[in-house]
Amino acid sequence: MSEEKKSPRRPIWSGTISIGLVNVPVKVYPMTRDTSVSFRLLHRKDGQPLRYERVCTRDGKVVPWEETVKGFEVRKNEFIVLEKEELRAALPESDRRIRIDTFVHYLSLDPVFFENSFALVPDGTPDAYSLLLTVCEELGEAGVGRFTLRTKEYPAVVHAYHGALILTTLRYANEVMDPSAFEELKALSAPGPKQLDLAKRIITELSGDFDISAYQDTYHERVLALIEKKRAGETIRVEKPKAAEVKELMVALEETVAKLGKQ
Amino acid sequence: MGDPLTRVEFTHLPKVLYPEAGITKLEVIKYFIRIAPRMLPLLAGRPIVLTRYPDGAGAPGFYEKDAPMGTPDWVETYPHHSETADRMIRYIVCNNLDTLLWLANLDTLEIHVMFSTTRSYTAPDLLFIDLDPEPPATTADAAAEALLVRDRLASQRIRISVKTSGKRGLHLVTPLVHGLSFQEVRGFIHDMSRNLAREHALIASEAPGPANPGKVFVDYAMNGAGKTMVAPYSPRATPRATVSTPLSWEEVGKGIKPGDFHIQSVPAREEDPWKDLLRHPQKLPAGRGEG
Repeated sequence: MSEEKKSPRRPIWSGTISIGLVNVPVKVYPMTRDTSVSFRLLHRKDGQPLRYERVCTRDGKVVPWEETVKGFEVRKNEFIVLEKEELRAALPESDRRIRIDTFVHYLSLDPVFFENSFALVPDGTPDAYSLLLTVCEELGEAGVGRFTLRTKEYPAVVHAYHGALILTTLRYANEVMDPSAFEELKALSAPGPKQLDLAKRIITELSGDFDISAYQDTYHERVLALIEKKRAGETIRVEKPKAAEVKELMVALEETVAKLGKQ
Repeated sequence: MGDPLTRVEFTHLPKVLYPEAGITKLEVIKYFIRIAPRMLPLLAGRPIVLTRYPDGAGAPGFYEKDAPMGTPDWVETYPHHSETADRMIRYIVCNNLDTLLWLANLDTLEIHVMFSTTRSYTAPDLLFIDLDPEPPATTADAAAEALLVRDRLASQRIRISVKTSGKRGLHLVTPLVHGLSFQEVRGFIHDMSRNLAREHALIASEAPGPANPGKVFVDYAMNGAGKTMVAPYSPRATPRATVSTPLSWEEVGKGIKPGDFHIQSVPAREEDPWKDLLRHPQKLPAGRGEG
């Protein structure tokens, strides 16, 4: 698994960042990826891949895609059926704009709202892009606005990172709970001044520069190492060899099955 | 895709099921595999009752009448309302090799069959006489009596076959034509045994057990709906892993030791004395009643 340094080939969106009357044409590329190892589910006894099927809860029979429709459960076991066309009509209109409503200091944004980040790349003339990037870098400001991707409109923030403009989609306020609702937090007592002083000193001693590369997904690495080992030596068997005892039974079975066949 | 030879997945094969004889589950299953062609015809169509010994024959086993949870859908069952239990019981019917092997994998050491089939639960198609020698009577006494019963029945043109019970006794079995009731069968055997008891001191016709020490009781009472006998070729949960073994009358005449017939010796027997048993259903003389 080599590190991918190349830029991804295709933008997932293109349009303009619009700030008042100013438009900055950009292409949007994904910039995060999920590195967790993905597995397929196999049948233990013969190593065959399994597939998922949609099964009717009444008769247990498999239902083909073309016979399915989306239903919204209004009450337990009571559904409102929504046709594809109806849902399509309700889609937010993507006007190909990242509309910036306001600028805030980047550090005033709390990471609890951050969802996913995308790289913005100039589409055509880079002048406006360069200008916006430089302003954001120098002032430490970020533009907050709206952005429609596929079927969802997101709050989003545009900010500078590593010499590029980045768009980070945000969660809506109602998608993030307010932690002050926890009972345990309501009765917190204030620490004494001595303890506070001590704690502050400890933290000061531990403070350093943030370096994300110091953190590694060790489980991920171990799983990959395990896969490499298996690949080199004992490869995955399609059929699990039977225990000697079972083989012995199968020999006897062959005779009996043949005898019964003749009867 | 799976094993084409059987739908059964065998488990815990090295487990010892007969501790005294050192016989493992593997060997028990192998016995069932090898005996299946002789055993299956006599099981087919009959509700059965199991005795399972998950901890081996040295530990207590349990009866199982009702098909257990997890019974595969390819195992045939026969639902029947049990009056004693006052509920529906799904009896297992062992109609094929896979079912027999599934039973074996459940640590079934004894299979008991009914004397009627699922087609007519209340009407017998087998007659069964249990010859149980009460000590000091022995298997030899039971054999002597079996020969007497055989001859008495032969004089009435009724053919009967014999097997060991797997313990001390002998079992006499013959298929019956349709149309008889269990009551008629019981009455017929009882009449015959009373006549025999008058002529032979060895035979007890009325009470089993210690009431008649040294005698062989002719048990007719098992001929009833829902009653069972240990199936021909079924192993028993005995220390020596004996088998209820069909015998020829010549063998019985020469003298037999029931302990000689066990799961290691029986598959090697060349003849199957009960091979055509079911082909010749017998008639009973008319006009018999119970009493």
